[in-house]
Amino acid sequence: MGLLDRLSGLLGLKKKEVHVLCLGLDNSGKTTIINKLKPSNLGTEPRALHLLGKHSTTELNPQPQHIYDCAQVQDIVPTIGFSIEKFKSSSLSFTVFDMSGQGRYRNLWEHYYKDGQAIIFVVDSSDKLRMVVAKEELDTLLNHPDIKHRRIPILFFANKMDLRDAVTSVKVSQLLCLENIKDKPWHICASDALKGEGLQEGVDWLQDQIQAVKT
Amino acid sequence: MAATTSSPDSDSGRAESNEANSKWLDAHYDPMANIHTFSSCLALADLHGDGEYKLVVGDLGPGGQQPRLKVLKGPTVLTESPLPALPASAATFLMDQHEPRTPALALASGPCVYVYKNLRPYFKFSLPQLPPNPLEQDLWNQAKEDRIDPLTLKEMLEDIREKAEVPLSVQSLRFLQLELNEMEAFVNQHKSKVIKRQTVITTMTTLKKNLADEDAVSCLVLGTENKELLVLDPEAFTILTKMSLPSVPVFLEVSGQFDVEFRLTAACRDGSIYILRRDSKHPKYCIELSAQPVGLVRVHKILVVGSTQESLHGFTHKGKKLWTVQMPAAILTMNLLEQRSRGLQAVMAALANGEVRIYRDKALLNVVRAPDAVTSLCFGRYGREDNTLIMTTRGGGLIIKILKRTAVFVEGTGEVGPPLAQTTKLSVPRKTRLYVDQTLREREAGTVMHRTFQTDLYLLRLRAARAYVQALESSLSPMSATAREPLKLHAVVQGLGPTFKLTLHLQNTSTARPVLGLQVCFLYNEAFYALPRAFFKVPLLVPGLSYPLETFVESLSSKGISDIIKVLVLREGQSAPLLSAHINMPVSEGLAAA
Repeated sequence: MGLLDRLSGLLGLKKKEVHVLCLGLDNSGKTTIINKLKPSNLGTEPRALHLLGKHSTTELNPQPQHIYDCAQVQDIVPTIGFSIEKFKSSSLSFTVFDMSGQGRYRNLWEHYYKDGQAIIFVVDSSDKLRMVVAKEELDTLLNHPDIKHRRIPILFFANKMDLRDAVTSVKVSQLLCLENIKDKPWHICASDALKGEGLQEGVDWLQDQIQAVKT
Repeated sequence: MAATTSSPDSDSGRAESNEANSKWLDAHYDPMANIHTFSSCLALADLHGDGEYKLVVGDLGPGGQQPRLKVLKGPTVLTESPLPALPASAATFLMDQHEPRTPALALASGPCVYVYKNLRPYFKFSLPQLPPNPLEQDLWNQAKEDRIDPLTLKEMLEDIREKAEVPLSVQSLRFLQLELNEMEAFVNQHKSKVIKRQTVITTMTTLKKNLADEDAVSCLVLGTENKELLVLDPEAFTILTKMSLPSVPVFLEVSGQFDVEFRLTAACRDGSIYILRRDSKHPKYCIELSAQPVGLVRVHKILVVGSTQESLHGFTHKGKKLWTVQMPAAILTMNLLEQRSRGLQAVMAALANGEVRIYRDKALLNVVRAPDAVTSLCFGRYGREDNTLIMTTRGGGLIIKILKRTAVFVEGTGEVGPPLAQTTKLSVPRKTRLYVDQTLREREAGTVMHRTFQTDLYLLRLRAARAYVQALESSLSPMSATAREPLKLHAVVQGLGPTFKLTLHLQNTSTARPVLGLQVCFLYNEAFYALPRAFFKVPLLVPGLSYPLETFVESLSSKGISDIIKVLVLREGQSAPLLSAHINMPVSEGLAAA
């Protein structure tokens, strides 16, 4: 079985799975980013298939099927607790824990630090007032025992670049004092999750980092 | 245990301004924000229904010159519009049940309340007109018919101002302010106008109509300069009820619902607080303060009042005083801090020394230090952050702080307050029969007992004094107090026996004079002890140094008996000793063991 796995891995049939945590304050655009990264043909995903089956057996309503067919749901509602999403890049299969950013759910984050092999931290570049809150949450994250001594790659998305009062990614990295992160690889990407700009660049960097760690 | 846990807390309380220990994140500070206002003119609300809470500021303008309505989003001013008069109070409230449930903004200014919906003017409510003074009316009628010249008019009006009970109209008051040359023109311009007398709004707040829900429809409650409280209908803006007060209200607090039962608390300019109920047209309770109130906040059922005597007072809703806390400086403004996620309600008081103190009842929870004296403050949801503290300073600065998600207010983190030990209960034993009898006896024969005690005390003192004198006279003490030979002696016995080493430490305690010609003599029972030399000379004693003089003592007794060895320090040629010491020799253990 191991031989078969490796063979299929070499042939590129089966991709390596990585767990990624998607963190950030509420309304920073985490779910929108994940939705944008998800492929449109979600029908091949086992979880979605399972859900589809459940819906079709319990009620003969085509509406839910329709929703799952178009993966990128347009109307985003605040995430409660967290949701698990999957997408693939050229060589990796990502399992993303899209954590809720609301204040009362932020204490859930730390329970998933152990499992995460990479972190995506999303910042709302237009919310200057709460940049200190984002910094505080980032500092708490970096000082957590499950994270502190690991060389875990962190990808920052300076999101909402389309907004008029958004600050640049350089300014965001200054405000969050990212230059103080010395023992972890990190990268900041200016992004606009609504249009999908800058997302692929970030995911490519993350993929390179994860592969560098694995090999 | 209590001591160990409280000490690091009190440390953090002292180092409140310390960045790392602070419970607050500094989100924004703009010393040049140009916002001059009071706490009553600040309001937080989701004005557009987009989840972003905005800050409404009724700005007085620098020096109270250019009143403006400002709406802030995050650190920036979103909109700004001029106001016709200085704002008295700002409030946000839900007017109706329609969706989306965006709150309306009410701004009290002069005799009017301006209501905005979606930041657009929606309604203007004016206070009803009051009957003018008939005498004043008469005078202006005469002026209209040119039967009276402006100077006489002025004199007559001044007379009315001083004597009449009904105050003058704004028109007459403005006329009285004018210079002689301006009067004629003013009279010609205004004489045909009807005299209007209108009062102004001093304070405003909101009261839920019939539901206690967070998003229930609210009525506006106004306090006016003519000592009245008005409750307005939320949709039609008609006066639902009118109550009168003995003085002019300046701060208002409400609780309950208008249709069910409510309680209005008004702090007034006569230094009293009046409490009114739903059915009462006049105050039901009155709290007379010893000083003028500077703020009124209701925390649960307790009314917290700040007074000009640099103190906070807590009262029940029936006017009973519960506690008083002294402040280190004058209180400038107060407001409520409500942390919903932890169910905390506390009072914030901004002081003249730039501190903002947060109290739960009388316990100090936290101190926030601002770079300038804070003149207005409010706490609540701002932007998307629940626990935001907004402060404006005397110089027009704007400070926004965000409470950390992990911050917990603990009592005793401040520096003052009663120690923890004070609250622990002592297990006091029950009163016994003996105790009761004794107390009775003490009550009956108190004087006799006291006299007996005093006699015994005097006797004791006399005896002590006699013994002391005797010791001094016979130089029995190891200290010599005579001016000529100030000496100190102490002896150490070392060893287990049968041979002991006896060391005498002799010190000349005079400041400059050396002592010469002293001798040491040991007196002992020769049946028990043997000393190589019972008498020897002391070398010259240099002032200040301690001289160890050693000798061996051999215990002769084999029965484990110990005795006293007397050491006498003598002056050559004198028989009376300067010093003496009694050494209690230890039992010879070496011999006992052998």
